[in-house]
Amino acid sequence: MKKIFILAGLLAFSGCAFAQSSYPNHAQLSARLKTLSSKYATTTKLESIGKSKGGKDLFAITLSKGDASAKPAIAILAGADGAHLAGTEVALQLAEKLVASDSLAKILETKTFYIIPSINPDAQEQFSAKLKFERSGNDVDTDDDRDGRLNEDPFEDLNNDGQITWMRIEDPSGTFIISKEDPRVMVKADPSKGEVGKYILLSEGIDNDKDGVFNEDGVGGVNIDKNGTYDYPFFTQGSGEYAASESETKALLDFLYTTKNIYAVFTFGPANNLSEATKFDKSKTLKRIITGILEKDASVGEQISKLYNAQTGLKDAPAMPQTKGNLSQTAYYHYGRLSFSTPTWWAPKVSATKDSTKKEIKEVKASDNEDIRFLKWADAQQLKGSFVAWQKINHPDFPNQTVEVGGIAPYAKLNPPLSYLNETTDKHLKFFKAFTAQMSDLQILNVKTEAVSAGLTRVTVQVTNKGLLPTGSEIGDRVRWVQKVRTEVKTSSAQTIISGKKVNLRGAMSAGESQEYSWLISGSGSITIEAGNAMTGIKTVSVALK
Amino acid sequence: MKKYISLFLLSCSLGAAAQEKTINDDLTGLRAIGTPASPKVKISWNHYNDYAMITRFCQDLAKAYPDLVKVESMGKSTQGKDMWVLTISDFKSGSVDRKPGFYIDGNIHSNEIQGTEVAMYTAWYLAESFNSVDFIKQLLKDKVFYIVPTINPDAREDFLKNPNTPHSPRSGMLAFDDDGDGKADEDKFDDLDGDGNIVMMRRKTPYGRWKVDCDNPQRMIPAKPDEKGEYEMLGYEGIDNDGDGAVNEDLIGYYDPNRDWGWNWQPDYIQRGALYHPGTLAETRNIKNFVYAHPNIAGAQSYHNNGGMFLRGPGAEEDAGFYVPQDGAVYDYFGKIGEKINPGYKYFVIYKDLYTVYGGEIDWLALGRGVFTFSTELFTSYKLFGKQSEEGRGQNNDFEEFSKNLLFNDAYVAWKPFKHPQYGDIEIGGPKKNYTRNHPGFMLEEDAHRNMAFTVLHASQMPKLEVSEIRQKALAGGFTEVTAVVTNSKVIPTHSAHDLKYKIERPDYISLKNANVVAGMIVENEDINLTKEQKYTPQTIEVSNISGMSAVKVRWIVKGKLDKATIEVDSQKGGLTSRTL
Repeated sequence: MKKIFILAGLLAFSGCAFAQSSYPNHAQLSARLKTLSSKYATTTKLESIGKSKGGKDLFAITLSKGDASAKPAIAILAGADGAHLAGTEVALQLAEKLVASDSLAKILETKTFYIIPSINPDAQEQFSAKLKFERSGNDVDTDDDRDGRLNEDPFEDLNNDGQITWMRIEDPSGTFIISKEDPRVMVKADPSKGEVGKYILLSEGIDNDKDGVFNEDGVGGVNIDKNGTYDYPFFTQGSGEYAASESETKALLDFLYTTKNIYAVFTFGPANNLSEATKFDKSKTLKRIITGILEKDASVGEQISKLYNAQTGLKDAPAMPQTKGNLSQTAYYHYGRLSFSTPTWWAPKVSATKDSTKKEIKEVKASDNEDIRFLKWADAQQLKGSFVAWQKINHPDFPNQTVEVGGIAPYAKLNPPLSYLNETTDKHLKFFKAFTAQMSDLQILNVKTEAVSAGLTRVTVQVTNKGLLPTGSEIGDRVRWVQKVRTEVKTSSAQTIISGKKVNLRGAMSAGESQEYSWLISGSGSITIEAGNAMTGIKTVSVALK
Repeated sequence: MKKYISLFLLSCSLGAAAQEKTINDDLTGLRAIGTPASPKVKISWNHYNDYAMITRFCQDLAKAYPDLVKVESMGKSTQGKDMWVLTISDFKSGSVDRKPGFYIDGNIHSNEIQGTEVAMYTAWYLAESFNSVDFIKQLLKDKVFYIVPTINPDAREDFLKNPNTPHSPRSGMLAFDDDGDGKADEDKFDDLDGDGNIVMMRRKTPYGRWKVDCDNPQRMIPAKPDEKGEYEMLGYEGIDNDGDGAVNEDLIGYYDPNRDWGWNWQPDYIQRGALYHPGTLAETRNIKNFVYAHPNIAGAQSYHNNGGMFLRGPGAEEDAGFYVPQDGAVYDYFGKIGEKINPGYKYFVIYKDLYTVYGGEIDWLALGRGVFTFSTELFTSYKLFGKQSEEGRGQNNDFEEFSKNLLFNDAYVAWKPFKHPQYGDIEIGGPKKNYTRNHPGFMLEEDAHRNMAFTVLHASQMPKLEVSEIRQKALAGGFTEVTAVVTNSKVIPTHSAHDLKYKIERPDYISLKNANVVAGMIVENEDINLTKEQKYTPQTIEVSNISGMSAVKVRWIVKGKLDKATIEVDSQKGGLTSRTL
């Protein structure tokens, strides 16, 4: 027991000593972004789109060759829930690798990437703080239990290991037992299996305000991934006082809404609709407030999900349903863009174990329990710091009772050692390359001119989406801030449109869809026809009148 | 004896008031009852004020009554105008920011201008009546008012100074693309005849379905089903500025500042007028910050026009469950008196009686902050002839008749010919921008007073707490039992039932100070000795709520005897009070 404790301590120590081997704090993240933007000054633009409550810059890095706003774009958001660091690292590496590789940087000739790697930097800083605990909230003072006292019941590091894990208390009123599959893991006793609870399971700390609830009001703060406008969870711990109440949320939403060329939003965080797409449910789309994905968007989701699984080769993703007030759903339901989310990395299933005595492989069913699955993987990878062995302590709130502190280390489950993320980034780059290749490709085809009479020409064109994805989402057709597909004929003062509208607006065009426009124009010379919008790019043809 | 003394005091104060009057030598004749005599700030209530006039009024009132009125800016509007807030209270009595606060604003919709004048009138009346009306004196001792005459100063100025219809701009001045052509505010109204009003356009044509009302030639009415029409209506004054074939299709704004609030906010495709997120507008954020910085705000009033309605939430049916019966009863109390105070005004619920509003200001105040809030639609056609017309608006000619008989045709631009670049020979005419929604001058002061009376009623019923009883009992072992009764003598509780459910505001604290407290408890039923002990900080008992017209009992067990101990009641919305033994 003692040995493991020392080892864990050493590991934490080494994490501090070699900064590059660990997740970056905000200063290191800023430095990496600045280095990148100065090294690749022509293809990147680094800007601060606002400040966190704690005064940290919210960086957006634009990757593009030429005029960024004139090209269809992808937005990548990460670190909204501050406890998720892997997404931030993958977003950073993605930016670094995209511009560094000639073959990948080619994408930037026709597409733009807006990457916002750390939306909640205040919370993410906790990873590098003296006391490590999974913190999701920014620096806003929050009275988490709404009792009028601020931060009166925080965590306490009872075993002095610099991190907050769990406490199990032997108590007949407890509802937890030690897992039979893995004695490190605590599970709920299941009465239907004849199991009787033996332990109370609580987060590590004492009940400072003697209200019977443990650690319910610490530094808290607002989780930006709970502060979005869609399905906002009001008066919920960590959600803020109202939707988009936080400077981080507001800065991000203002950036998105005013950046018209964003075609799709990818959120790296603790929700997943990429490895398995959201299903269409008609009943959720019929009320005034829509609560389910629209039909065409659901089928696009299926298509992208297949692409994601094929390109990344990732399997066995944990079920991570969308959560209330998160940015990913806000980006779909309110911002009106195709919106996808993935944690980018998760512990793979370890289903095959080698029996060293028999030298043959025995198939063992992987556990359904996420914690056990994770620990099995960590064991196989010989990652020592992922678990804190249960250790007896004296607890003032439980005198004369056996109290042990331990459990899976904070951050460990979703944030592997950095070395794992290189491969994760490469897999996602492969996916993004394939995704951008499928994006809509609007063309003006079959341009036809007919002389109706001398000086009067009928011009007919077909505007066609030759891409494999629609020009925009179906929900975007309802959203005021999503531009329509616009086809405009531009004439000189010597020409007059006799019939046909100068400006034609329509909703999103599916893959392969065509729309015909026709005008009667008097005069001579040539006219210009433009088609597209910010999300598709604008195509132009010049047509000589007969 | 006691009675005799108070009578004596009364006669003294009367004497003082009488004396004050004699030095007001500019008052001749007789003061009309209900109106401050010789006010220090001279202002008439029969016109509408521009931003400079509002600013001057705020400064003048603060200067005239330094112990009653402070003026500050709660922040800048989108275009950089200060949003003035008047804090009105008896600054010499108690700590002003700990008194129950009443928030008033007007003009969120820029064309609904008279909310500003009603708010200003309220400020003026309170300050000017403090010395002469005992009720107001006591009110300002107990409470504080925060009055923001206009929360949309940019577009108010546009309504006043630039050509508009009675319904425009409503929005603020931030330019947005309304017609999806990539350009913002490029095809606004055009004041064709340059008279400052945007009125209607009509064109004579045998194909039209409209005709002139022969009883009132100003008015256009639809031709009967079997009758030939004479005119077609072409909408509001304007031309096709951007040559896209549509007239006036991209006006100022457009968005609705009253869809920018953080309760059940919904996007534009569900709630027209919404922007990117609640608090997209600087004005909204300023008010939210102000309200969060003033947790003592326990009542609120927002002024709109029109229709004569005292409105309470919810704005959306989905939120009906949040207005629980206990809170509904408080609203009903005010609403029913309101209908009497202001004939023609009705007490309504927004989603049921008006229309659906998501993300509106008053739902945010009521449900996001637990503040009892009304929004009033000022002015109603009932006021024209003291009756509700049996036909709906548009079918009756009350406004035209009122203009003819009481305003001598001042309210309409008479039809006149105009040569329109796209429509050719047309005529333009119709109601001026300051008619139909905003009060005619002579009616403004009366309605301002009646509406002020409604908010004063509301404000006066914000909680008033006092330690009404203290009992001591010696216990064995040298302990003393102290029981205190804290009373709320007003209708509004310290926490709405909705607030209690979601713990919006912290509990009320009742503390025994300067005593050696060993235990503390809430007395739930004294007769059967039902108590609930509070183990943590027993000297400060936390009471979740003190209901309207009710009392709570708390008890402490003290080591030894009490000597000059103080019982302090500290409630965010109910104020601060104490009593020393």
